[in-house]
Amino acid sequence: MALELLAQTLVNGLVLGAGYAVIAVGLTLIFGIVGIANFAHGAFFAMGGYACYLLTSQGLNYLAAVPLSVLIVVIIGALTEWIVIRRSLYGDSHHGSLIVTFALGQAAVAGLILIFGPDPLPVPSPLGQSTMRFLGIFVTSQRAFIFVCSVLVLGALGLWLRLSIKGQQVVAVAQNARGALYSGIDVPWIRALAFVLGVAAAGLAGALLAPITTIYPTMGYSALIVGFTVVILGGMGSIPGAMLGALLIGVANALFETYVSVSWTPALGWALVIATLLFRPQGLLGQLQQHRH
Amino acid sequence: MIDREQVAVSDKKRSGRTAREASYVACALIAIAVFAYTFTDPFVVTLAGYTCAFALFALSINIILGGVGEVPLGQCLFFGVGAYGAAIGMGKLGLPFEVSVLIALVLSVVLAAIIGVITLRLTGAYFSIVSWGLTGVAMVAATNLEEITGGPLGLFGFPPIEIGPLQLSDPQTYFAVTATILLLAILFLVALRRSPFGAAMDSVRQNPHLARSVGVDVARVRLKAFMLSAPFAALAGALAVPYTQIVTPEVFSVANTVDGLLMVLLGGAQLVVGPVIGAAIFTLIPQAMNLDPNIRILVFSSIIILIMMFAPGGLHQLGVALRDRLGRKTDDDRSR
Repeated sequence: MALELLAQTLVNGLVLGAGYAVIAVGLTLIFGIVGIANFAHGAFFAMGGYACYLLTSQGLNYLAAVPLSVLIVVIIGALTEWIVIRRSLYGDSHHGSLIVTFALGQAAVAGLILIFGPDPLPVPSPLGQSTMRFLGIFVTSQRAFIFVCSVLVLGALGLWLRLSIKGQQVVAVAQNARGALYSGIDVPWIRALAFVLGVAAAGLAGALLAPITTIYPTMGYSALIVGFTVVILGGMGSIPGAMLGALLIGVANALFETYVSVSWTPALGWALVIATLLFRPQGLLGQLQQHRH
Repeated sequence: MIDREQVAVSDKKRSGRTAREASYVACALIAIAVFAYTFTDPFVVTLAGYTCAFALFALSINIILGGVGEVPLGQCLFFGVGAYGAAIGMGKLGLPFEVSVLIALVLSVVLAAIIGVITLRLTGAYFSIVSWGLTGVAMVAATNLEEITGGPLGLFGFPPIEIGPLQLSDPQTYFAVTATILLLAILFLVALRRSPFGAAMDSVRQNPHLARSVGVDVARVRLKAFMLSAPFAALAGALAVPYTQIVTPEVFSVANTVDGLLMVLLGGAQLVVGPVIGAAIFTLIPQAMNLDPNIRILVFSSIIILIMMFAPGGLHQLGVALRDRLGRKTDDDRSR
């Protein structure tokens, strides 16, 4: 019985972690390639959820709505990159990009409240209420779907980075942007691509989690905070670090919830982050930062 | 000879400056008095008092943003400590308002010292994220420690709040007190900016490596600035209590920091009174136009994005640029 509870908790943690991983990989990709901490990430997460709500409320099936929501977020992300981000990257002020992305997030949340109202809205999913049982462990179908989608997307991203020419160019820019520029890589284009990919991941996570959490305008804050805790724990800019960090925080949260206290769980991630920063500032799999603004 | 002349000139300049500043202060005091006793609508006067309290919070944010150049997304932690300090001191311990506020101020400085030692080793986005995260921890703690903080419902139903003979429940007195405290804070910050410590903060913001090479203890300056900013925020939080009449875990919400940050960025981070100008714009215009708070956030966030893209020093930078351009034009004309 105790063993079953532990197994159930671990599985819940892994499923939770898979969702976190998608958010965090987007965040870490943008940090590694574009060099900014994207404080608007949570807003794109919320937009994914709202796009999914709009599409399903038009009668579209949830499974078809998810990829379309990601497409909508991609379009918004590309426009944002084109209009705002690339113009505010190279200013004199070190905190310019931080304030700009933060203000973007604020504006987006205020916009969502004005359009859809502040109250939570449900997103129906055909996987809704059914559960699957495997070796005495219960998983709702929606959570299983989230897990499978996350693993597939992260796997595809990893393969793309490793095997394709564009992916290798992205890796090259992350390692040494100036060197990449000298070898003829179109760095501004790669940066735009990384930004759009990153926010697309956030949008996907929003669309995937929407049926579980319902959607509300400030849903992005908790996603953003979880994303940052994961990314700092794993090492900013490191994609394997983000995945490892997501699984660790997912499992730690689930264990803490089951065995210690539900109401104190939101503080756990930060305790881990502060411990990380004190004892291993570069994160679990991160590399020591060179001087960079 | 020349030296003496120069000294005389600079002395004259300095005494001119002090005289001008004294007249500014006198004008401000007269304006406070006139405002407090001509406007009789209690709502407007109370709102003005609250705006002064919040401007104090914006000043606290600007000690970090304009002083050492970090974005303090967690500054509402100290705002909340001030608010909860006043509320717990009055409501739970039965202390007078002044004593509760003093205890809260001391607590905020101690807390800033502890947090600063941990977080100020970080710079840029890391610092902002972790300080934001700590406010999340504070919110969780305030929600869960029900015996002390009243839990999610918060603390309310205070005895009439007074400082000595001054009744803060009276709108005019409330405004006069907050405005005077704000004025004192501005004077203090002007003096601070001119002191050697102000110069040290400037050097740390502009180029920490250079600052270290000429003997500025960068970590120490950053920690001192952080510890200095905390009581301003706590005082703001405590002075907001007579207006809000309730303290809930929401005081630790990032929305509070956002309001303060928008005020600073609107007014300009490099001007001591910038945050106060920003606070006035941020509160008065939406009030006059009867704007929905979300439209307010949307409009001001968009303005901030535009400012950061085109004039990263704040609105007054546009004014300075314009003046320079016009000034240069007249000079050119004259030389022709």
